[in-house]
Amino acid sequence: MDSSNDDALDIIITNVVATFRTRCHLNLRTIALEGTNVIYKPEVGKVLMKLRKPKITASIWSSGKIICTGATSEDDAKVGARRLARCLQKLGFKVRFSAFKVVNVLAVCSMPFAIHLVDFTKNNRPIASYEPELHPAATYRIKHLKATIQVFSTGSLTVTGPNVQNVATAVEQVYPLLFECQKPLREKRRGELRSQE
Amino acid sequence: MSSRTCHTCGGTDIDVDQARGSAVCTSCGSVLEDNIIVSEVQFVEGSGGVSSAVGQFVSADGPVKAPQLGSGFHTSVGKESRAQTLQSGKRQIQQLGSQLQLNQHCLDTAFNFFKMVVSKHLTRGRKMEHVIAACLYLVCRTEGTPHMLLDLSDLLQVNVYILGKTFLLLARELCINAPAIDPCLYIPRFAHMLDFGTKTHDVSMTALRLVQRMKRDWMHTGRRPSGLCGAALLVAARMHTFRRTVKDVISVVKVCQTTLRKRLTEFEETPTSQLTIDEFMRVDLEQECDPPSFTAGQHKTKMQQLENELTRKLDEVEGEISCYKNEIETELEKSRPKLRGIYAAYAREIDPEDTEVLSSASDLEEAESEEAELQAATQHLTQDFLCQVMEEEVGQDRKTDGVRQKMGPEEEGGGALRQVAPLATILGKLTTTAPFDLQQTFDPSPEDDETEHGVLDLDGIDDQEIEKYILNDREVQVKTELWMKQNAEYLQEQREKDERIRKEKEQGTYKEKKKKKSKKGEQVEALTAGEAIEKMLEKKKISRKINYDVLRDLNSRGGGSSPAHPPNTNTDVQQKLSRRRQRRSSGVNYELAANASIMGKRFHRLISTTTTTTKKKKRVESQVQNPVTMTTTTTTTTTTKAVAETSHDPEPHPTSSTAVPPTVEEEEEEEVEEEECVSALQLVGDYGCEEEEVF
Repeated sequence: MDSSNDDALDIIITNVVATFRTRCHLNLRTIALEGTNVIYKPEVGKVLMKLRKPKITASIWSSGKIICTGATSEDDAKVGARRLARCLQKLGFKVRFSAFKVVNVLAVCSMPFAIHLVDFTKNNRPIASYEPELHPAATYRIKHLKATIQVFSTGSLTVTGPNVQNVATAVEQVYPLLFECQKPLREKRRGELRSQE
Repeated sequence: MSSRTCHTCGGTDIDVDQARGSAVCTSCGSVLEDNIIVSEVQFVEGSGGVSSAVGQFVSADGPVKAPQLGSGFHTSVGKESRAQTLQSGKRQIQQLGSQLQLNQHCLDTAFNFFKMVVSKHLTRGRKMEHVIAACLYLVCRTEGTPHMLLDLSDLLQVNVYILGKTFLLLARELCINAPAIDPCLYIPRFAHMLDFGTKTHDVSMTALRLVQRMKRDWMHTGRRPSGLCGAALLVAARMHTFRRTVKDVISVVKVCQTTLRKRLTEFEETPTSQLTIDEFMRVDLEQECDPPSFTAGQHKTKMQQLENELTRKLDEVEGEISCYKNEIETELEKSRPKLRGIYAAYAREIDPEDTEVLSSASDLEEAESEEAELQAATQHLTQDFLCQVMEEEVGQDRKTDGVRQKMGPEEEGGGALRQVAPLATILGKLTTTAPFDLQQTFDPSPEDDETEHGVLDLDGIDDQEIEKYILNDREVQVKTELWMKQNAEYLQEQREKDERIRKEKEQGTYKEKKKKKSKKGEQVEALTAGEAIEKMLEKKKISRKINYDVLRDLNSRGGGSSPAHPPNTNTDVQQKLSRRRQRRSSGVNYELAANASIMGKRFHRLISTTTTTTKKKKRVESQVQNPVTMTTTTTTTTTTKAVAETSHDPEPHPTSSTAVPPTVEEEEEEEVEEEECVSALQLVGDYGCEEEEVF
């Protein structure tokens, strides 16, 4: 079995989370009153600002720390973060864009076969864990990559990791293990799939 | 028995007598030792001739002081912290384990796990009970006992996912590989609980077969095993002619109805479900199914594909239709009688509506240019008209009748509606791309780049767009007003708080109060509203003079009538109200029973709201006046009225209780003992004041 199969697996990045700092104190009330698309949450102490162009939601704290979520790629996240900083600058704060870091990347991927989770867990004992009472997916944690993969019995995967490269590597790593424990499809199904492709 | 030599003769042959405790040299006979410490077991005769061994059991767990008589304090006397933790853990394990009916071996294993956990410092930052529960569940899994995590969470009243998290963490840290749960383990346990009498074993066997079949059909991956068991048991029970309803099964198995039904439908879709009972017991089908979520996913993709094809075909058809339409229009234009003069002006107006309808009532004109103009005009107008129609459609929930008429007879009737949609999409795209074009004309002129570290690199950022994100002054004003109005109470509070602090500072009594995390109101777990009331009353200890027993009896009556509570102040208002209510309430008793359920639900809400801390006492005061007026005007029954009021006041103020009331007179009409009852609402309202009612 090869580590990459005939038709390439599509790894679709669905969410990128990044943080950065503005190095200056922000007055949340000003932002809340003078910005469009803002939600002010005084009880928590933050402002949610949503941008349209790269579709991003940012949580802004008064200390100047900002978390951006919802981007679909690392570059997008950076552009969105800079946009946001520019917006804050226009509101009158002395914003400096610093310490931009992508913290988390979430991607989904779909295998063309179903997976037998019990076997998969048995083969990869301490690294994989499966608790049907708690969650329908088996969790596979790769320590050195700091990535977590959730494997569902239908063959879909969700991968989270600190950056896109790690996520891709994680999928590459886990593919052969999944291939071993795949559930052979019935003949009829296989025929259908082929006709669809 | 050390090989010593005798002092006198040097002989090595020493005889040690354990009983006498002496060591004697055999050659010369000199006594070397007397009173050697013996390690014999001694027996003592107790009362009644019972012999018992002398001595005390010393625990292997470390230096444990012998329990002193009369102290009872085993824990805190001069022991180190680790030993205390272990001992307390052991005790808790014993307690919890006995509730689960685990045998001693399991409990010992659990304690060993616990010792490992403590030595790895994993108890830090975690509640002891969570850790204990996780240890016990680990044992259950490794031993294969039919205990679910749900059982543990039931006993501890903790969210099952929290326990699960702790369990997973411990399993990972201790490198314990718990084998996966097999739903077959739970079948006997649930079968016992479902009470099948002598045929329990048969039913269990059938259910086991069903579960195994389900496993082969891939219904069990990713699902809670209890759900599968429930479905299997239900079917097995029916197969053996036991009438077990879905409700019975779900109360035992602890899943919800929807889940059970879903499992049953999934099983129905497998080919095994087509077999008869006998066939099933004998034959085992060869083929295996795909997991149901997989098939659902496939189904979805297939539907989507079909839809895509449909839309594609529609587009083609639509293209054809518009071709035809254009041709027909041109033909019509040619054959249409041309209008002249004033009628021409009219024609331009009515043209869009009657493009397909021949208007033959006017003179013709032969000018080619006019015709061309008209054609262009009609084209343009039809497009506009279509736009308009789209908007109308979108706005008016598909009022398609008028449109169909206007769209005209030459289009296939069924095709009309569908045509509208694709056209809308086309036109829609047109309208939305316009602003984007405009946008791009304002190309971003790159701002001056400051290349210092940390300062914003504005490459590629469109300033114009960002301008949009910032409101101008007028908008700011409006928004400020809105926000101020919306958060008026919060701001008011802040102001008052500041004032208070200032005053205290002046007086010198200002204490720096640390912000306490507000204690979330404990959820009162109760099955009925009555129980909830009881529990709350016990907690709050509202009044000594209330006859709680009678209050409890309320429930048995189904909360039939709300108990009386003579008003404290404002008696005249009260009496007026009560008299009015008395008149109305005469026919109301039978309704009360019906309203009891409503009341029950509202009581529940009331209780949960009263236990949470609220800041808005001032608001309550202002609102108190409203309920008073409201009650006099509503025509609902007294109970619902009373309840409605309390639902307005999150924390009923003592004075509000006066407005509340179910009346004394009303109760007098009913059974006598009800007179002595106190309305729970009143109780809650009155817990501040001591003006008590007279029974």
